[in-house]
Amino acid sequence: MERGVQPSRFLNIADRIINWSRKYSLWPMFFGLSCCFVEEAATFTSRYDLARFGAEVIRPSPRQSDLLIVSGTVFKKIAPVVLRLYEQMPEPKWVISMGSCANSGGMFDVYSVVQGVDQIIPVDVYVPGCPPRPEALLEGLVILQDKIMATEKPSRKVFHLGGGTQGTDRPILVNGATKSGDPRGPGYEGLPIRGTSIVPGPLHWGNRSDLMWTPPAHRRELSETDQAMAAELRERFGDKARLEPHSSDMPTFEVDPGSVKDVLRFLKNESKYKYKRLDDLTAIDESARRDSTWNGGLAEGISEAGLAGAFSRRERGRYPDFTVVYQLLSFDTASRVRIKSGLDAQDRARAQVSTASITDLWPSANWYEREVFDMFGIRFEGHPNLHRILMPEWWEGHPLRKDYPGRATEMAPYTLEDARKRQPMDAMELSTLDNKGPKGDTEFFLNIGPHHVSTHGLLRCIAGLEGEEIKSLDLEIGYHHRASEKLGERQSWHQYIPYTDRNDYLAGSSLEFSYVTAVETLAGIKVPERAQAVRVLLAELYRLSNHLVWMATFAHDVGAMTPNFYTFAEREMILDIIELITGGRLHAEFLRIGGLAADLPEGWKKAVDDLTAIFPRRLWEYEKLLRKNPIFLQRTKGIGRISLEEAMDWGVTGPNLRACGLAWDLRKKMPYSGYENYDFEIPTATEGDCYARYLVRVEEMRQSIRIIEQVAFNMPSGRYVTDDYRYAIPRREEMLKDIETLIHHFINVTRGMKIPVGEAYGVTEVPRGEHGYYVVSDGLGSAYRVRVRGPGFANIQTLPMMATGESIADLISIIGSMDVILPDIDR
Amino acid sequence: MQPAAAGAMSPFHAGVFSLVVFTVLVMLFIASQLFLAAWLGEKKKSPEKSRPYECGIIPTGSASFRYPVPFYLVAIFFLIFDVEGAFILTWAVVYREVGLAGYAQMSFFILLLLAGLFYIWKQGGLDWKEAYNRADS
Repeated sequence: MERGVQPSRFLNIADRIINWSRKYSLWPMFFGLSCCFVEEAATFTSRYDLARFGAEVIRPSPRQSDLLIVSGTVFKKIAPVVLRLYEQMPEPKWVISMGSCANSGGMFDVYSVVQGVDQIIPVDVYVPGCPPRPEALLEGLVILQDKIMATEKPSRKVFHLGGGTQGTDRPILVNGATKSGDPRGPGYEGLPIRGTSIVPGPLHWGNRSDLMWTPPAHRRELSETDQAMAAELRERFGDKARLEPHSSDMPTFEVDPGSVKDVLRFLKNESKYKYKRLDDLTAIDESARRDSTWNGGLAEGISEAGLAGAFSRRERGRYPDFTVVYQLLSFDTASRVRIKSGLDAQDRARAQVSTASITDLWPSANWYEREVFDMFGIRFEGHPNLHRILMPEWWEGHPLRKDYPGRATEMAPYTLEDARKRQPMDAMELSTLDNKGPKGDTEFFLNIGPHHVSTHGLLRCIAGLEGEEIKSLDLEIGYHHRASEKLGERQSWHQYIPYTDRNDYLAGSSLEFSYVTAVETLAGIKVPERAQAVRVLLAELYRLSNHLVWMATFAHDVGAMTPNFYTFAEREMILDIIELITGGRLHAEFLRIGGLAADLPEGWKKAVDDLTAIFPRRLWEYEKLLRKNPIFLQRTKGIGRISLEEAMDWGVTGPNLRACGLAWDLRKKMPYSGYENYDFEIPTATEGDCYARYLVRVEEMRQSIRIIEQVAFNMPSGRYVTDDYRYAIPRREEMLKDIETLIHHFINVTRGMKIPVGEAYGVTEVPRGEHGYYVVSDGLGSAYRVRVRGPGFANIQTLPMMATGESIADLISIIGSMDVILPDIDR
Repeated sequence: MQPAAAGAMSPFHAGVFSLVVFTVLVMLFIASQLFLAAWLGEKKKSPEKSRPYECGIIPTGSASFRYPVPFYLVAIFFLIFDVEGAFILTWAVVYREVGLAGYAQMSFFILLLLAGLFYIWKQGGLDWKEAYNRADS
């Protein structure tokens, strides 16, 4: 009896000692999936200082860590990697699921997202929030520490005595069996998801938006250049290119599929106005259109073909099966043109539909056409490597087709078996698909990413190496595809605003800015001056905050750790101002169609003035850390060059373009929201290398501060939201006094306002370049199609060109200097 | 080789005993650390865990193939010059004792090394890019 007690007492003490040691020496692993990771990164910088809790060092590899913090959205494409990294960690190991997406899919109940990481790996602690603040992560860590101390009995396992517990011992959950598969939680079975009836598509009957009247879409007068260009086209192509009588934003031509390539070639090379840049290339599935000229009963429409997913040709009237949309930009005249080409499928299932590839006109069309193929199933004749780009190769169906289910909860739940089976494609296989196979017997493949500190997100570079020299480079994207465009088709016009923030989680309001600009252009909404100024203020604050993160991570990539801890201090200061004004940090969700969510709060001026007072000097200090650092200079000067011609041809935008010597900045060239009233310069550099990109961004911060000073000084008074309440969420104080306003409020908040039939492109200069939204309305409460033109998609496509021939270490500085972020590449 | 000057080296006497004890203790300490590290704790083997880590992707091909390593050359040169450092540092300890003759000998030695270094430099042995170009041709 006595003998039995002795060892257990010893084990109890051992348990306590081991648990205590483990509790204060947890080693988390770097695995940033999306937005949440930015808050996780902030947690270990000076203000929050994760080190206080003993979780000092965040490790880049699973071998050296025992705490996996799954921060962000778990995509179906990345889930096998998450599982592998978890399994490659040594025992004992713990898991914190950070953020709503990792917990349950969060606001992303879409086809590409796993609805909770607990379906593939066990989770100890869930940290709620979207994204959780750094304090919330700290609390999650403390809860985990308490859990270790209170529940684990590791000594029996440590001494091989059999039994005992340590690490995560919860089972993984099975969607529908041990956890609810309903995004609303258990108990709602049988009730349709709210908003199902308003989504355009076969089930849109009963949509009451049709009972509302709106004026027609905004009509823009063609400028002189536009008219001259239209005359040029008419002379050359006659009836093959027809100018649409009305457009809201830019001249739009309908071109026969047979001559679309000739028209594009003409516009690029021969036209007097030289539309040199392929701004965007996308498509629209027109199968769920309701032709306004066709007035038959909608109920009839859904009878047979409708429920099968598509209306028949007759019911759609003038609309083709698909429309391919090309958008070009002329640098000389600062104008755009849109070319639309309708395609009809050869068969009823719409599987055979194709058009000519324009990859020989613009090299950048390569990815755009692959994306259209992936999302719509339209083939491009003559494309060198047409295969999926965003969705994995095993994926079935084309998500942006109208008959494709948008929600993950409408599909079979993602399981552990899927994560084991659906592995990312082999590097050799993928490179062969992209015509980048091995060339010599010494060449081998190295995967850099998707789990890598220096890829700044879920980007996979497949480097064909000879020694340390990059002989070929292939990129695989799509690990961060969050179905942003599909979401736009089911969220109401206003509800979509929070999703725009998440398309670039370092630039916050700048993206809302582009989106609301698009909708306002389409509906012709006048934004009050004060709201315009606040939008500029927020956009510039976010530009500063983004560039500070970029500066820190770029320096970190080339080996300088220190700037991280400094620049994040000012970034916190900026986020405090943003929080004061908007209530949010990363995702402000503050802009509204027609204005803002609220007026500026008391004390905003002082906070902004405090920032502008100290910022230039601080920036100068941080610059000193880098600009005179010989290692930094050696690793950036002359590395990763791209010429201006190439940059224009590939559709590079933002600081990356300006670093090649072209002073092209939308804020100056096509001013919006009152930018023409502020005095600032467009910084440029000429070399087009990593160092030039550094110089441009740093100078941009100085210019942003100038703009912020001017906006704050000249802040106009007046309304913060338009009084055209047909399209806006009314101010509360007015809503409470006026029945008409109350009705508008009720309608716009519940089923959402109706936007007139039409289309518009809204774009602003976000920190990374030109981020635009192309919205198409069918006269309903949500968009018929939302296209997100992310600058990163075009910018990153030049990476193989820049990096080939350089050494592998240079690849890291090139990626760092380009300031990539994955949500605007994969969207 | 000249006989070492008297007093240049420490005499061989009973002090060696403490050295032996020290060595044995160090050996024991290392052995215990290795044993504890190997024995304590839970180890679960799985195919995933024993797979090489490559950013979460299954690696392509094997790791054994002909691999051009320009760094190898630099590393070898470093090793050679590093070992020479051992001679120079020892000389620094007995600098006064060996006097002018030692100084002359070491100068000759260092000059010889420098000549070698310049030769390598001129041949492009320190240049990584050069090594690539040669591999290409």
